[in-house]
Amino acid sequence: MSAPGKTEPTELIVRARTGDADAWGDLYREYAPAIFRFCRRAMPTREDAEDATMEIFMKLRDKIGQYDQGRSFTAWLYKVAANHCWDLLRRRKVRQGKETEDVTEVPLETPDPNQLERLIEERTSEEVRKALDKLGPRARMALVMRYYSDMSYDEIADALGVRRAFVGVVLLRARHELRQALGENTVLAAGGTR
Amino acid sequence: LNEPEITTNRHVDEMTLLLYVERQLDRELAQEVSLHTQTCTKCLNLLRALDRESRLLTRAMFEEDEPLPARLAEFRGVVRRSMQWMWGVVFGLAVLGVYALYTEYIEPWERQLDQAGFGSTNLLSLLVFQGAFWKGWQSMFTLFEFVALAALAGFGLFAFRKYLKRGSALAVMFASLGLAVAMAAPASATETRSGDTVDVGKDEIIKTDLFFSGHHLRLEGTVDGDVYAFGQQVDVPGHITGDLICFAQSARISGRVDGNIRSFTNNITVSGTVGRNVTAFNEVFNLDPNGTIGHGLTVFTQTVTLDGKVGRDFLAFFQQATLSGKIDGSMRAKGDSLTISSGAEIDGKAQFEGPKPASVSTNAKLAFPLEYKLVEHRSRMNRGAGYYIWRVIWTAAYVLFGIVLFSLMPKFSREAVELGEHYGASFGLGVLVLFGVPIAAFIACITIIGLFIVLSTLLLWLVVLWTSEIIVGTIVGQWLLGRSHEFWPMALRMAVGFAVVRIITSIPFIGGWAAFVAVLWGMGAISLALYRRLQPVIAPNIPPVPMGPIGTPLPPNTTVGGLQSA
Repeated sequence: MSAPGKTEPTELIVRARTGDADAWGDLYREYAPAIFRFCRRAMPTREDAEDATMEIFMKLRDKIGQYDQGRSFTAWLYKVAANHCWDLLRRRKVRQGKETEDVTEVPLETPDPNQLERLIEERTSEEVRKALDKLGPRARMALVMRYYSDMSYDEIADALGVRRAFVGVVLLRARHELRQALGENTVLAAGGTR
Repeated sequence: LNEPEITTNRHVDEMTLLLYVERQLDRELAQEVSLHTQTCTKCLNLLRALDRESRLLTRAMFEEDEPLPARLAEFRGVVRRSMQWMWGVVFGLAVLGVYALYTEYIEPWERQLDQAGFGSTNLLSLLVFQGAFWKGWQSMFTLFEFVALAALAGFGLFAFRKYLKRGSALAVMFASLGLAVAMAAPASATETRSGDTVDVGKDEIIKTDLFFSGHHLRLEGTVDGDVYAFGQQVDVPGHITGDLICFAQSARISGRVDGNIRSFTNNITVSGTVGRNVTAFNEVFNLDPNGTIGHGLTVFTQTVTLDGKVGRDFLAFFQQATLSGKIDGSMRAKGDSLTISSGAEIDGKAQFEGPKPASVSTNAKLAFPLEYKLVEHRSRMNRGAGYYIWRVIWTAAYVLFGIVLFSLMPKFSREAVELGEHYGASFGLGVLVLFGVPIAAFIACITIIGLFIVLSTLLLWLVVLWTSEIIVGTIVGQWLLGRSHEFWPMALRMAVGFAVVRIITSIPFIGGWAAFVAVLWGMGAISLALYRRLQPVIAPNIPPVPMGPIGTPLPPNTTVGGLQSA
């Protein structure tokens, strides 16, 4: 994956668009690790992430002609990946009859800043990743789109099929879910003194 | 934000602070929040905590904790190119499989049907479009076209069902079918007669098709059309200008049938005249000395006695047959015992296959010497080498078919294998699909709902039947070698498991039952996967999520937040 600030491989993209298999292979090698990591964060199991990665690149190869070269290739790539992963999660959720599992009506309590600070201080990246795995699909997907792919609120709204105005709500709820999963929910809830 | 200004004795809610951190607030509101946090320590601390939380999330997600799996090291398209030679082998073996299928099954049947007077044209067109069963088919063309279109429309609706409301799609489907069935009525003008004893009097003339059902049926008059007879005893001393389709315990045709006779009876005796062909599935078939069949005779029976005349070819499968009549065409017979008596006459070639040679009277008139082929009742324990060679070839062809299937439909195949491990559901559904689908198709054929749908369903049923052992093989392979979701390891498991299944199903006596169980199991698993796949996907309908301080939905592209009492 191109690191932030790193220029995109424009020439490779142009060649891949013309059907150059070698260029496509290079592009794949360049972006596959990042997309796999995206899928690994978004999908519940490693096998699902592997399948999704392969399917995303198959889709990309078919769709690369539709890519608008005036825009960021990385952003486009993540958009396709996010749409695909969310589609898979949504279908699975519908099949399992859990379509509304992560839409709750419970109001959120504002955390105590000091306790939140302490929680952030004490938790490692690995613990955060494990906690992410415990979240509902929508919450996990929203966090991954925002904090891994750096997608805009408009793009997240588009991918999740919600109004733009709800993206903040979804993200905030996801953070609360994450905090709960990190094991500090009781402390934080108790600290809601405002 | 509803409050006009931020004062030091009120706090900003978490949502607004998050949007501030995320740079989603408009300039004016962002300035207000900024101003507020310069004087409010609590809000400033929460703002900083939220920002740090964002960074923790990003860091946690970007850290590379798992390397790219080996199967993703190269794009599968590249792998596919390197495996292109495999497709050549697959194609070659597929051709071999088709050849084997043709030479083993299709060609012999074609020859036998040809012998039976069905000619070299295809059977379907003969039965359906040349009116062998029912001349009314001619008037059904328009209906078939309509049904085909309705079926296509149905499939179209089915494919795009997620864009349609379920109710309206179903309504259109049922309306189409209803219209199709309604249109069938005028095309099938048929007189119906039923009762314990049903007669068509000697002087009576029925100018349409007749549907005849009862305990004892007797047709002495004339039917200018086809007759469908269902009864314990059926006597036809009268005249039928069309075909006779007869389901009975006992039938006697002493009158005249200008068309064909198709009989499914315990015993049938023809002592009258049949203008065209006779096809009979019976225990006993007799063609009396006075009986005449204008075209061919095909019988699948236990005992056949042929004393009358057959205008064309004679094809018979029987246990015991006695011929003393005349066959103007050729004869092809297969059975346990054949006796050709002195009065017999065969103008064409005569072939017989059985465990012992036919007993041929020296006075019988045969245009060609009788060709005899010995058929040994080989014990299942004593199968020839050819059986096992073909078994190996078929196994290889199946394995390659499985590889193609896994390659074309990887997810579906995996789902079917996984669902196969729900044993109860798989077997239950397998029984239902194996027996239910052909029965339903048969009923649909009778009621003329749509030949297109029936044929498509049966084709799909056959594909599922052929594929069932592959799925079972993969499950068995996974038992033996452990699970894998990668393509080639899974293909290896399928190959090993399938070979094991084929070995088990080749064991005499228990093999047949094992194959039956495998078919039930595999069909159930595939059907279950199909069922899951066909479940409609409903778009998520997200209700507004109430927030603590924010009670109303947020307008797009504007900011949110507000002040709360300290």
